[in-house]
Amino acid sequence: MKKLNLTRNTVILAVVLLLIVLYPLLGAKPYHLHLFILFFIWAMVASSWNLLNGISGINSLGNIGFMAIGGYGSAILAKTFGLSTLITIPLGGIIAMVLVTLFLGLPTLRLKGVYIALLTLIFADTLPTLLTQTRAVTGGAVGLHEIPPFFAGAGKIHNYYICLAAFLVMLYVIHRLIKSNTGLAFVALRDSENLATSLGVSRFRERLKVFAISALLSGLAGGFYVHSLGDISPTTLAIEPFLMGIAMMELGGIGTLFGPVLGAAIIVFGSEFLRLADVLRMTILGGLICVTILFFPGGLMQAFRKLGNLMDRRGKRKRGESVQAKVQSAD
Amino acid sequence: MESILNALVSGFVSGSLYAIMALGLTIIYGISRVFNFGHGIVAVLGGYLAWTFFTRASLPFVVSLLFMLPVMYLLGWLVYRYAIRGLMKKPNADFSTVLFMLGLGIMLENIILQIFGPRVKAVPELVTGSIMLGAIKIKNHELALMVIVLLGIIVLTQFFKRTRMGQAMRAVAQSIPGAGVVGINIERIFGYTFGLAFMVTGFSGALLASKYFMIPHIGWDWMVKGFVIVAFGGMGSIPGAVVGALVLGMAESFTTLALGAVWVWPVWFIMFLVLLLLRPQGLVGGRN
Amino acid sequence: MFEIKDLCSAYGDIQVLYNIDLHIDEGEVVALFGPNGHGKSTLLKAISAVHPARSGSILFKGQEIAKTPAHKIVELGIAYIPEERFLFPDMTVMENLNMGAYNLNARKSMAENLEFVFDVFPRLKERRGQLCSTLSGGEARMVAIARGLMCNASMLMVDEPSIGLSPSMKFAVFEAIEKVNREKNLTILIVEQEIEHALRMANRMYQIRKGRILFERKADEIDVKEIEKAYF
Repeated sequence: MKKLNLTRNTVILAVVLLLIVLYPLLGAKPYHLHLFILFFIWAMVASSWNLLNGISGINSLGNIGFMAIGGYGSAILAKTFGLSTLITIPLGGIIAMVLVTLFLGLPTLRLKGVYIALLTLIFADTLPTLLTQTRAVTGGAVGLHEIPPFFAGAGKIHNYYICLAAFLVMLYVIHRLIKSNTGLAFVALRDSENLATSLGVSRFRERLKVFAISALLSGLAGGFYVHSLGDISPTTLAIEPFLMGIAMMELGGIGTLFGPVLGAAIIVFGSEFLRLADVLRMTILGGLICVTILFFPGGLMQAFRKLGNLMDRRGKRKRGESVQAKVQSAD
Repeated sequence: MESILNALVSGFVSGSLYAIMALGLTIIYGISRVFNFGHGIVAVLGGYLAWTFFTRASLPFVVSLLFMLPVMYLLGWLVYRYAIRGLMKKPNADFSTVLFMLGLGIMLENIILQIFGPRVKAVPELVTGSIMLGAIKIKNHELALMVIVLLGIIVLTQFFKRTRMGQAMRAVAQSIPGAGVVGINIERIFGYTFGLAFMVTGFSGALLASKYFMIPHIGWDWMVKGFVIVAFGGMGSIPGAVVGALVLGMAESFTTLALGAVWVWPVWFIMFLVLLLLRPQGLVGGRN
Repeated sequence: MFEIKDLCSAYGDIQVLYNIDLHIDEGEVVALFGPNGHGKSTLLKAISAVHPARSGSILFKGQEIAKTPAHKIVELGIAYIPEERFLFPDMTVMENLNMGAYNLNARKSMAENLEFVFDVFPRLKERRGQLCSTLSGGEARMVAIARGLMCNASMLMVDEPSIGLSPSMKFAVFEAIEKVNREKNLTILIVEQEIEHALRMANRMYQIRKGRILFERKADEIDVKEIEKAYF
């Protein structure tokens, strides 16, 4: 039954992936490509964020800040020094990793969860002030514009494939990471600190490691963000992107591999469909987070899993009541 | 000399306002171990309600408070009863309560924004005029604020010391199994705690709104300030919050005097990090 | 006046108690013996609803209390003095005793109970203004027992009152429990490793092993050898 389930999921995944790969070739509008690019980038951010909050139980609220550092880093290197994006994006990621690990990871990771949550939030919150104070380099409140594209003459379609590839690679890396010994140590630490410590897992070192990796990945996502969109400003660090990231993780299913991706898809495409006034949109986002946490703590992934199990059971029995009745009884 | 004295006075005034603002945060954390991420917005809501009753309905300030405080109490109780209570029983309660209060805070902020608009609001000063103390001038309003805060803190400490419910809250804060063994209904106490803390927070919001300007978004600023104060003094400790608020209030006014207002936040942050390294439990906090 | 039937209790997937049957008459002192980790404390926690039982019935004065929450149990008159003590460390001895009298029945007879408690533990009267976190182990144990007495209960459950105490302190604690039973006619269920001490005051005993009642004996038919054998 388990194997059957896996195959079905693999088939669905392959079909979805194929459609996404072929989509630009089927004559998609540039605006729709733009949306997909946003989705890929957000999926990267949410997935790397989920590595902290979902997988290893470190309550970070600062990943948008990590992303901004990577984005600014890469943009400045490409714009002022004229370096190739092949170099600047990784460098941006590394800058984010180093800064975040030094100034945030080292002092906070020994502290209790609430402290980490608040200090990461304060960190991300202080960045806009810092940016406006360093106008010569970062462009201040206006931000940076006309950031060089991935390569000279790169268009939407190129950006689409570059970001898609980056997203897939990152997801694969995260997948491997979760399955590796390091990943198992993260999960062990999240689930039972005492047990993991007694097995010889150094809590602080493992936490620092995952923190650095998450910052690196978020920073890289920032690099892809600036070179495909062409500009970045302190508004990237406003409360809305922050909320969107949280909502993606929670809505999709925190702690799962595909949950944040799913959440990113829903939030990115959803907010395009619901072109509402700012105030209303934020109210809905806040409400969405509350409702998800209260009533669907596992997010959509858990709902899907339940549905999948249900269908398996039904297929096995062959005969039975309607699915409708079971969906209701499962709730 | 004069400017130093002035800084001292203004540090004391803002310190006492920060103290009452941080109390609500430390009360909830100390008793239920839930960190109220919506704390600032709760204060803002209190401020807006007081503003509405005071300036719109033209009620006297005290009467405005009488209308506002029960509303805040009810809100706190509802939040606990219908959201936090369930979340506290589930795994990962630490972070799910943080996110829930965060989401609720954003929602409240935008609802307030929708109703009251983005323009700055201020509760008018309670008393006008000022007095001279030697060379320095103190506004009567600021004196009144300090007296009110002092009275508020005295009332609260007496509540926790003398009343049956206050004692039960302290008991729950110190040992939940112990509280269970002596027959305290812990969930009910949590409910009262949220009500009380929201009430105190709303009250502090009304006071803050009479000294500083108020927009819905300022709540996040207040929350972060409240957190630094509470963690500085010792999470969950009432004297800690008061001491932390006074120390940081002084630091604020002297930093403004010496370096300029832009530097207040970096100075606070550095003081905070240094303290975390030396005394992670905070200035007053005894045990972990 | 107190009767347990077919009680089962578990922590998560691990079942600890299996079909426990036990009864206590009014004014009786019943001792509960058994090796560590075999379910004695779990039974007391199930009765006091600190960790409620999975199934089974608990009758107290004719009332079914298996589903009653912990704070109601205290109000009904069963006080539980846990081995872990669970004192309020930043409260004074006096405040801790006050909290013992939290339920409304106890509030009424607080002065009288306090007098009795200070009579039993004169030491606590001297230390009443002291914070509990500064007490010695023996004094803290006294506070825990005294706090339980302040609940104005008609039945007292005491979990390992002598553990970790010096011999003279042990003696004082047992003396106090005997006095409580004698003067207040409280029904007592006591878990204790000091078999000899406990047997001096017990009217009856139960032996627990691997979550089941192994045997039950009246005071005059108790054989210490038999009990000791049951530990291995």
